[in-house]
Formats: sequence, structure tokens, C-alpha cells
Amino acid sequence: MSVLREMLENLLSRPITIMYPKEKLPIPEAFRGRVAITDDKCIGCSKCSLVCPAQVISMTDGPREVEFRGKNLARKKRPQVKLFKCIRCGLCERHCPTGAIHLEHVHAGSGTDREVVVT
Amino acid sequence: MTDPVFILLYIFLFPGFFFLIAYALVLAYLDRKIAARMQQRVGPPFYQPFADLLKMLGKEVINPDGVDWRVFDAIPLVALAAVMTAYLYVPIIGYSPFAFPGDLVVVLYLMALPTIALFLLGWLSRNIFSAIGGIRAVTQLFIYEVPFFLALLTPAIMAGSWSISEIVVWQQHNLWIVFFQPIGFIVALIGLQAKLERTPFDIPEAETEIVAGPWTELTGRRLAVMDLTLDISLVVGSALVAALFLGGPLVPWTLSPPWLNSIAGFLLFLAKTLSVLLILSSIKVATGRIRIDQLNDIGWKYIASAAVVQVGIVLVINYLWVTP
Amino acid sequence: MPEVVVSIGPQHPALKEPVNFKVIADGEKIVRLELDLSYNHRGIEKAAEQRDFIRVIPLLERVCGICSHSHATVFSKGIEEIMGLEIPPRAQYIRTIIAELERMHSHLLWLGVAAHVIGFNTLFMWTWRDREAVQDTLEEMSGNRVHYGMNEIGGVRRDLTPAQVEAALSRLPALEERIRKYVEMVNSEETMLIRFRGVGTMSREEALKYGAVGPTARASGVDYDVRRDDPYLAYAEVPWNVITDTRGDVYGRTRVRIGELWESTQIVRSCLENIPAGPIRVDTPKKAPKGEILSRYEAPRGELAHFIRTNGTDRVERVDIRTPTLANWTSVAVCLVNQNIADIPVIVAAIDPCLSCTSRLTVVNREGSPVVAVNRVLPVKRDPDSGEDKERR
Repeated sequence: MSVLREMLENLLSRPITIMYPKEKLPIPEAFRGRVAITDDKCIGCSKCSLVCPAQVISMTDGPREVEFRGKNLARKKRPQVKLFKCIRCGLCERHCPTGAIHLEHVHAGSGTDREVVVT
Repeated sequence: MTDPVFILLYIFLFPGFFFLIAYALVLAYLDRKIAARMQQRVGPPFYQPFADLLKMLGKEVINPDGVDWRVFDAIPLVALAAVMTAYLYVPIIGYSPFAFPGDLVVVLYLMALPTIALFLLGWLSRNIFSAIGGIRAVTQLFIYEVPFFLALLTPAIMAGSWSISEIVVWQQHNLWIVFFQPIGFIVALIGLQAKLERTPFDIPEAETEIVAGPWTELTGRRLAVMDLTLDISLVVGSALVAALFLGGPLVPWTLSPPWLNSIAGFLLFLAKTLSVLLILSSIKVATGRIRIDQLNDIGWKYIASAAVVQVGIVLVINYLWVTP
Repeated sequence: MPEVVVSIGPQHPALKEPVNFKVIADGEKIVRLELDLSYNHRGIEKAAEQRDFIRVIPLLERVCGICSHSHATVFSKGIEEIMGLEIPPRAQYIRTIIAELERMHSHLLWLGVAAHVIGFNTLFMWTWRDREAVQDTLEEMSGNRVHYGMNEIGGVRRDLTPAQVEAALSRLPALEERIRKYVEMVNSEETMLIRFRGVGTMSREEALKYGAVGPTARASGVDYDVRRDDPYLAYAEVPWNVITDTRGDVYGRTRVRIGELWESTQIVRSCLENIPAGPIRVDTPKKAPKGEILSRYEAPRGELAHFIRTNGTDRVERVDIRTPTLANWTSVAVCLVNQNIADIPVIVAAIDPCLSCTSRLTVVNREGSPVVAVNRVLPVKRDPDSGEDKERR
């Protein structure tokens, strides 16, 4: 019987459980992890805030100068993401014109510092 | 042998209740570990059943509305007392000091008490799932108990005695009874699996159908005691099958210092009960649960008739052997 | 025992999601069944009316975790047809690959759940172990194990790199080997056979009368599959077969689903090997013209239909989701009569219920009073000449 044979083979071999955190599986390239914002690239267009389905991106004060298409612009706002409410759909990354907001290649961690919760 | 200190040490220490509970937890761990490895999982660590027991003893006891809590407290304790008493008559390191002719019948009777306890618990919890589970437990008891008793009766016929220790001594001088009665051995194993309510016979406790059957309203220390009862039944059941069919704890030849004999016998006892456990675990992993009416079908058509055939064969063998 | 009401749910170890079955049983035989399906209602159809076409796709994806790509695809397909867009073939192939991978992981999940329901936990562990290969492939392609987010109006969001195609193709032979083993196991494992055979039998006429869809209906001999009869995506260009069975019981449904698993591996392999080059999306207008469309799709559980009405703005005016599980509940109520209590989880699991998909009912009161949203499906009598058919959808 195929079930019995497979049972015996399994009994005599290693289990396939990955013993996290001692062993970890590699995270694929396309993995949608935590949201991160690169401040120098962001031009403050608010597109991420407009397309976010869960409405977790709000534009807050962040005056700076950025270079966009050869011009130096003065920008007033930067996006702020509530990381714990983010559903990691990646629409912000898809619609950002400069690639400033992107989803990192890491599992989102827990933490007590404010940087973990809001970026 | 009748020294009261010795008797007390035997009952409470080794191979008495202390060893019994420890061995029950070890067998529970091995059962879960073997089942997990067969499914390619890791399984629990060795202290898991012990930790479960301690944890459940400390949990809150919830009394459902309208249930007599004194009876609810008493029933698991009665079941535990029954199986622990049954353990005393099974030979562990040699001849049991409490053996008397007829102790096989006493052991079988005491082993049936936990199922009656489950039925009472199911009936007294005012819960439809427990009632259905309790009824299924007793129906299952009726179906498997007849072939189980018959299969355990045939070694007694062959050995000519109703005392388990005497049957073990008979096997020491002849071959193990399993060579004469393979059908009986298989029927006894199936009956044991049904008595312990393990897959494919875990019908009273079917988790996906009736929540937990008669176990639904057990909480805290009552659940700990009932779990321990089931684990101890596993020990007593496998020790019984090992004693009646596989020769028990006696070596075929006597070694010179008597303490070496006892130790060798004890190690043999461990090995034999572990092999019975291996077979029971494999059955548990390889099958799914059947329905109670299908058990009725299979039980009476195949298992009971196999047991009756085995009794017939044994009577014929005895007649041919004894008369000429 | 006289008739007792055994209330299965809303919390019960047999159920993955809350639903309330009131089973009226006489001993171990079931006399009648009353269903209450309202526990997972989240107001998604209303929320979809307030989001524009970019933001509504993730919302509709999250109607259900296991068939999330189905909802997103059928909606995108409908809106694209209203807008009159022509999707590039590479996007169609990518959507097909993800759809068939989703079907594979859903059927493997179902096989495990069906085994767990009869207490056969070994097969449960093994099928879910093999499902990990499919989940790894999906994670590499889309970034997440469920809720893939591959769809947008106008095409697909991300492309498949050659490395991903290679990795996916390399996982397929092991999966095919395991599927062959499961076919053998289901046909020879005694306890599965006696629990599944002859349980919950539904004839072809009953399947057609009560509106069963998907593998539930195909196991009763109803030869209907939206992928063949109303082709969409790349199904018309890839060779594959519709699996039907004549038994109509739970065993027949098991065989249909395992057959579909096999067909899905062949479709995925064929699409991965022949994927055309080209763009993956087209530019879309912001607003959709006025129109109504009924968009259909073969989800893992059956025929999924979205009725979409647009009115010239950048949102939908109404989206009505008719999931396959909703169509199959009546067949459960029919099949359960005169079976044992022990068979309730088996028959319920055989339609592969997904309550998150189901819970959006509206009942129209035929007597002329206003439309009332009620969440109860009333008991159905199996006898055909019992008078009025008390089932309301």
C-alpha cells in the first residue's frame, strides 16, 4: 500500500519543517515587505496617497529641495505611512513616478520604536 | 514476598504507580512523535505530555449549568482508579505478586470502566454533542468488546489457566502464543485500538463532527485525570497484549543471578510494549475515521467472526494436543 | 431519540468560517437543515461603489483569500470589456498562469481539508506539504502567497522574468508525481472510500434543478465549464480537458478535483513554455462609459459572476458578486436529508465552501413590499411534489 510505504520512508528521514529562526527560507526578489521611502527621490506629488486602497498614506510637512527632470524644485510635503495598517498591495510602488516609495525585501518586523510603526 | 514494605514499594514506587505514570507519559510522547515523523513533521519534545498534565491540573474548572459538579469530579477519578488497579495484575518484572486465578477477567472488567465513565459523563453533561458522543462510546463498546474478550480468552484456553502470570509462565516453557494464534493477535490489536478510541475508531471523540463528544464539558483537573486514564489504559492494554501473546517479561531461559533475570525481564517488557505501541501508532496514522454504522457492519461481520474462528481453532488444537 | 436540534456553528471545529447549521436529527439521521449564512458579511459591494478603478481592485481581491485572483480577474475583464480595451496576449497568458496556479493550490487545500474532516490527518499533512511548492512559485512571481495583486485594469502589474519561469517549470515534475500518488491513494485507501462513496449523492436532474456549479455539478454529469463554454484569457489557445464524473457523490467530486489538478499542471506548463513576448499592459482611460456587463469566470469552486454597472464616472455604480459557493448551498441542504450526522462535515466540505465569498445575500420579497436584505436560506424539501419550493436566493 502506497500510504504505508510512504509512512515508513518518512519515519526514517528528516522532517521537512524549517526550524525558524535557526533556519530560514530565502525571500524571493518580488516579495512585498515593509514600505520604505527614499526622501531624495520623492517629489511630493501625493499620488501614493491617492491610490492607496487602505488610505494609510498621509502627506505631512517635509520641506526640502529635490531634483526632478533636470529642475530643482522646492517641495513641501512628504508621505507618511502607517505601517501596521498597510496591506502591502504595492499600488504606491506601482504608481510612484520616481520610484521613491517602494516595498522592501524584508518581512515587516515588530518593534516598540516609533520608526517601526510609522515611516 | 508478603513483606508489607515490599508490597507498598511495589504498589507505589516500582513497578507501581510512580513508574506507571512515568511510563504512560513516555508512551504518549513516543506515540505522538512516531505519528509526527511519519507525517514528516517534527513532533513534540519529550516533556510535552508531562507539561500538558501539569498545565491542565492548574486550569480553571468550569461547571456547566445544572450539572452536579460532585459527580463530575468523581467520575474521572473512578476511571483512573480502575485502570490503575488493573495495572497491578499485569506482570511487569516477572510474576505479579497479586496474581490469582481469574485475574484476567478482573483486568478486562476494570479496563471497560473508562468507557462507561465516558458514557456517564456524556449523559450527564447537558449538551447534545456529549450525549451523542456518549451513546457512540457505548455502542462502540458493545461492538468491539465481544471479539476483544474472545481474542484474549484463547490464550487462557491454550495455557489452561485464567491467571495472566500463569499464561506468561506457560509461554516460557513453550513458544510465544502469537505463533499459534496470529488471528487472535490481530483481533486483539484491533480491539485494543477501539478500546483506546484511536483512529480509525475515535468515533466518540470525533472532533470535526461533534466537537469533543463526552469530553466536551471536561475542563481543568478533570480533563487531566481523564487524559491520564487514557494514557494509562494504553500502557495496561499493551502490557496485557504483550503478556498474553508475546511472552511477557520472562526470558526463555533463566539467568543465574535472580536480579539479572528481573532486569532482563523488565527490558524485554519494555521492548515488547514498545513494539505493540509502534503497531498501534501505525494504524492510527494510516487510516481515517469510520462511521458508527460502518463499524457495526465491519465489527460483526469480520472481526467477531475472526475471533470465533480463532476460538474454534484453539479448541481443536487443544483437543489434538491434550488427548493423545 | 426524538427529534433534536444539533446546532453546528457558528463556532465549531468542523468549520473554517462561521456559518450556522441547525440540523434537526432523529437519532443519527438528518430530517431537515436550516442554514444561516450571514456571519461574514462585510459590506464589500457597497465599499466598491466608493472607490475608483485603481483602488477597487485590491478591495475585490480581498473578498476571499483562496480565490482572490478570480475576483480581481473577473472584475478587470468586465471593466475592460465595457471600456473596449484589447489586452496584450502576454498579459492574458500571465493571468492564466496565476489563475491555474491558484486553482492548483485551492484543490490541494481542499484535498487536505476533506481528509482532515474524516480524521485522516496524514493525507492532510501531505497535501499541504505539496501545496507549499505552489505557494513558493506564486510568491516568486507575485510577491505574496495569497492576494497576488497581479491584475490591473488594462493588463498585469508585473512581468515574469525568465528565472521565474525556469523555477516554476522545475517545480512541476515533482507536483505531477505527487498528484499521481494522490490519485492512487484516493482510489485504494479503504477508509476514504467507505466514507466518501455513496455519501451525498446528487443526480444530474437535481444538480440542474438546484443550480449547482463547478466540480459539485460536474461530478453529477453536468458538462459545463465556463473556461470552455465562454472562453476568456488564454484558455482557447491551450489544450486542456473538462473533467466530469457520473457518480455524483463525494467520491465523484474528489475525482473531479484531482483530475482538474492534473489538467491545471498541464495548462501551467503549456503556458509557461509558450508565453508570447510583448507588453504587459495598455493605457486605460480614467472613466468608463455607461454600460452593464455580466462577467463570468471559472473559479476553483465553480462559476463566479460579477454584474457590473458603470455610469460614465471613474467608479462603478453597482457590482453584484454571485459566488459559486452561494449557488452550491442549496445542493448541500438537499444532499444532507437522510444522511447521518457523521456525514454533515463530509458533505459540507465536498462543495468546498468559502463563506467569505458567500455572505452577500439579498432577498426580493415577491409579494410587492420593498427589497429586504435577509441572510437566511430556508430549508429545502427534497420531495419534488411537496408544494411550494421554499428556497429563496
